[in-house]
Amino acid sequence: MTEESIIGIRDLTKYYKGADEPAIDHISLGIFKDEIFGFLGPNGAGKTTTISILCGLFPPTKGKVTIDGLDIRLNHEKIKHIIGIVPQEVALYHTLTGLENLQFFGNMYGLKGKALKERIGEYLVRFGLEKFARKQVSTYSGGMKRRVNLIAGLLHKPRILFLDEPTVGIDVQSRNVILEFLHELQETGTTIIYTSHYMEEAEKLCNRVAIIDQGKIIAIGNPKELVALNPEFKNLETMFLHLTGKGLRD
Amino acid sequence: MFKYFAAYRKEWLILIRDPAGLVLLFLMPMVMVVILSMVQEFGWSTISREPQVPVLFVNTDQDSVGNKFQQGLTEAKIFTLISQLDSVPVTREVARQKVLEGEYQIAVVIPERTSERIRAKIRLLVNKTMTSLMMPDQNFLAGVTNTDSVEVIIYFDPAVRNSFRNAFLSSTREFNSKIESRMIFETFQDELRKLFPGFNMPVIDYEPSVYFKEIFPSGVEEEILPSTTQHNVPSWAIFAMFFIVVPLTSSIIKEREEGSLIRLMTIPVTYMTIFMAKVGVYLFVCFIQFLLMVLAGIYVLPLFNMPPLEVGANYLAIAIMTIVSSLAALGYGILLGTLSKTHQQAAAFGSVSIVVLAAMGGLWVPVYLMGSFMRHLATFSPLNWAHAGFLDIFLRGSSLMDVFPEIIKLLSFFAVTITIAAIYRTLKPPIST
Ligand SMILES: Nc1ncnc2c1ncn2[C@@H]1O[C@H](COP(=O)(O)OP(=O)(O)OP(=O)(O)O)[C@@H](O)[C@H]1O
Ligand SMILES: [Mg+2]
Repeated sequence: MTEESIIGIRDLTKYYKGADEPAIDHISLGIFKDEIFGFLGPNGAGKTTTISILCGLFPPTKGKVTIDGLDIRLNHEKIKHIIGIVPQEVALYHTLTGLENLQFFGNMYGLKGKALKERIGEYLVRFGLEKFARKQVSTYSGGMKRRVNLIAGLLHKPRILFLDEPTVGIDVQSRNVILEFLHELQETGTTIIYTSHYMEEAEKLCNRVAIIDQGKIIAIGNPKELVALNPEFKNLETMFLHLTGKGLRD
Repeated sequence: MFKYFAAYRKEWLILIRDPAGLVLLFLMPMVMVVILSMVQEFGWSTISREPQVPVLFVNTDQDSVGNKFQQGLTEAKIFTLISQLDSVPVTREVARQKVLEGEYQIAVVIPERTSERIRAKIRLLVNKTMTSLMMPDQNFLAGVTNTDSVEVIIYFDPAVRNSFRNAFLSSTREFNSKIESRMIFETFQDELRKLFPGFNMPVIDYEPSVYFKEIFPSGVEEEILPSTTQHNVPSWAIFAMFFIVVPLTSSIIKEREEGSLIRLMTIPVTYMTIFMAKVGVYLFVCFIQFLLMVLAGIYVLPLFNMPPLEVGANYLAIAIMTIVSSLAALGYGILLGTLSKTHQQAAAFGSVSIVVLAAMGGLWVPVYLMGSFMRHLATFSPLNWAHAGFLDIFLRGSSLMDVFPEIIKLLSFFAVTITIAAIYRTLKPPIST
């Protein structure tokens, strides 16, 4: 892992239409090449908002994002080729089969033929979906949908992969497969930006995390170092609860 | 291009995943064309065949004009004349009231002394003619004119259908001119007899020399008299064709709701590619729909005692007209689907706007019967362009070149709507921000 920022985030602020409070509030940070970076925070903290802006889905109210040195607003088309996104909500055609969905999204990235078929086959086996590949997505369990959703975002082997809560609603077996897989991707040179509210998982997986609450970064760093710096907390979760409070969120 | 075909394949797979929906998509328009053509056909027959339309007839003239009118209307075999209600002769005021209340649809009032006044007018005319004939130098009657025209009053219930009113007016006009020419002729005979008492003119039964033969010219060798089928099938077919916006907008909104469109936003593919793939698939659907509707017009309608649809022989022109009309419908659908927030919005606005555009475009009431403002408005409806194009090809045997203006208009409409949709979608992401 080289200490070189592949994503630069400066002063990022987003007010949704009609909102009085910002969803994210003056966030600045750098994400290094080939690291796994976690955005951790309670519901409504601003994780999805941050990831959406990083992918160029909509512009921030204020601030600037660069990916690979390119301003995302000005070079969105170029950047589309190097990023992959796994949205929080399942984004698939429900009346198509898993296989047809993956073929279509692969094709949209310009992948085709045997190479695409083989890659889809490999991932389907890896995520335990090969038996269901030819069934319509609408007949899948929640966990199966999420796994297809995940594959659809990384078929084209992006250099930067964004995952918004990829392990929510997935059983332990599948979750372990996913985490292991993400580690492998990192080793083959993929920068991974990931959100979660599972502290334990993030502690194991991430090189660095940013804890955000109400749109602000309240702690950032290597999870082990963060805990070591605050010896009164046994682990990331107790620290997280201390920092963000125990009250319920929107 | 590869991405286009991949998107086309996806769209096609989604469409055939719902076979019941697909069958409905093809069957409904066919059923609609047959049923609605039947409704219109039999609606029309009531006027033209059944002699049971009651007409209040107030004959205060009681002289030749009134009597001839009465005779003429009776002989037309469409109307039953009613001159008395509860054995009291109908007055002009009563007739007006009854029509106003909607109890009767038509009342005809022949005012007092109508015959007398017409006769006076004719006599003056005849005298003038004779005088100038016999005594050219003593043109003393030259300054005398008689502009005293005579009004036969006809009350129509406002609810009376336009087609019915026109049929009635044209038949009354016809025998009115017969009556008048006959009176002129008789007066001439009288005057001639006065001048030449010995002269006995043979009794000539005057028949008008000018008849109006209704011919509807068409470029095809034999002239096709347009039947109701000929008018109805294209109208309903175009109407049904534009209803493709309902499934199309639904496909666009579903793609957005399922989140796939958001994913597509992060993928290097343009909205135009995605939209055009939809257009490609739905164009095929529209084409088959139209083909089935035309076939229904040709083969199914005759099974119900209706004249078959005649499509002329210019199949290429028909095919191209079908394609460009479908494209206009699809462009409209893509735009609506992109602009609408929900399925309900799209379905409600989509169907109502098509009904409005169809009515406005003269699909149901011919444009030539509309007021000048409406006639002007009609030229803005894409359904009007499609309708005009098909009528030209079916009825006038027009070639592709003749319907070129319509083709250009429909294609431009498609280009404009789909471009606006793509630009709008590019500027405004499909999620609330
Ligand atoms: N489309 C939107 N329009 C208006 N407000 C929004 C919208 N999306 C999110 N918000 C608001 O912005 C804030 C941040 O939301 P965001 O979805 O980024 O949170 P999150 O950290 O992803 O939460 P979760 O863990 O529940 O997914 C919340 O207060 C939310 O109500
Ligand atoms: Mg979220």
